[in-house]
Order: sequence, then C-alpha cells, then structure tokens
Amino acid sequence: MSPALGPGDYVIVNRWAYRRREPGVGDLVVLRDPQYEDRFLCKRIAAVSESGLYAVRGDNESVSLDSRSFGPIPRRLIVGKVWLSAKAGRRETRMPESLA
Amino acid sequence: MALLHSFLKMLDRVSPAKAAYAHCDIPCGIYDPHHAQLAAHTVIRMIDLIGQLEKPGPSATPEQRQEYMAKLSRYVLVKEQHAEIYKSEVRILWGDYFKPEHAQQFPQLHDLVWKSLKAGSKGRQEINLLAAEDMLKQANEIATIFWKTKGVPTHSAKAPYPTGRETVYPNIG
Repeated sequence: MSPALGPGDYVIVNRWAYRRREPGVGDLVVLRDPQYEDRFLCKRIAAVSESGLYAVRGDNESVSLDSRSFGPIPRRLIVGKVWLSAKAGRRETRMPESLA
Repeated sequence: MALLHSFLKMLDRVSPAKAAYAHCDIPCGIYDPHHAQLAAHTVIRMIDLIGQLEKPGPSATPEQRQEYMAKLSRYVLVKEQHAEIYKSEVRILWGDYFKPEHAQQFPQLHDLVWKSLKAGSKGRQEINLLAAEDMLKQANEIATIFWKTKGVPTHSAKAPYPTGRETVYPNIG
C-alpha cells in the first residue's frame, strides 16, 4: 500500500464508519482475508458491484494479493475504514511475519 | 506524526493491536513441490531412526532411560515439525500456485491434495512407515503435475539421502 502505508505504520480503524453509509470506491479499509478470516488485510475499495460485493485492490497492483486473486468480498468481511494512520519514523525493512 | 506513532507504539506494548497486512503474500511466483517432498523424506527418516533406537530394558540405568527419552523426543519433535511443514507446503501449492485451469486439466488434483493432507496428518500422529511413505508418494504425484503445468519434464530417481526412496525430480538445465 506504499506510499499510503508502509511497514510498521499504525492505523486506527473506525468500525462504525459504515453504519450510516456504505463503503465507497477509494476508501482505505481493513478487511478480513477471505482465505484466512483470522488475518486482517488493508486495501482500497476499487469497485462496488450491484450485488453488494466489494472489489479491493492494493495500491501497488503488480505486487498485491487482492480481489484480482480472491475475488470481490462480501460486506461482512469489511471491518472498518482507516480513520488515521501514523507513519513509522524509520521505515522497517524486514518482511511481515507472514512471509518470514 | 512521529509523536503519534510513538504513542501508538507504547499503547501497542500495553495492549497489542492486531496486525493488518497491507502488502501480504506477494504473489512472487516462486513455488516448488520439493519442500513437501523433502519434508516427507525427513518424516520417513525419523521413523527409521525411531525404529533403530534401542529400547531400555528392565535393567537399564536411569541415565540410559534418560538418553533414550531424549533421543526419542528429538526424533518425534522433528517428525511432528516436518509433517506440519509438508502439510503447509501442500496447502501453499494448492491455494496459491494451482489455478482453476490446472484443476480442469488435472481433475485428480483436489483429491490428490486431500489425500496428501490426510497422509501428512497420519504421518504426524503415528509412528507409521507406510503413512510416511504415502506422504512421499502423494508429494511425488503433486510434483509430477506441478512440473507438467510448467512444461518441465520429470524423472523419478532414488533420492541421494539415507531414505533412498524414489523421488520425482524436474529435468532442468
């Protein structure tokens, strides 16, 4: 999700953001990974289908695992909208634990 | 912003937040069934070693019993770990590498993966050479399909390890 987010950044997620309105295209959201629901992902909403499914994309399309591989996701997997992000002062270069 | 980050980091220490992966599972395209095959060899080897271990008799000293227990524990631990590596590697190939068109081309793929995972569980649960050999057999079949999807021919040869079982290798180079 660089440059919007980098390794080690903190995000504060508003779980109530979509109580009154639906997620919109361009929103940065935290969602449950449809393949492993106990893992959270952070992606941007790319499209909303008429049937209420949400296509999510990483900002760096060539290296992102997103709706292009796992398909559009149902509303219930969207945890909330990223309300605030705090950048890590010094960028960590290590890989996320899932890849180590 | 750095201040906010420091503050959140402190909060994170007190009450750890869940991680959200913004850039996870890079589809790097680097897959190889060899990890699963190798893990199956390790499970076979551990079962061989457990079989070769001399059991302490009624007149064994406490030290001899301790040594036996220590060795047995180490073999069992490695067997457990490698059976789990095997299952993980099979799942990665299945979930991340193989695509719907591969499953169409090789309709036995899903059943094969299912059997592999069952074999992996049995190899992990029991001290059972047949189950461990079954793990390798299934991994070899997955390897054959994997290399076919890449257009790489394969051959079967005895592995150059103490286990010496037939293993499927790609003909590369």
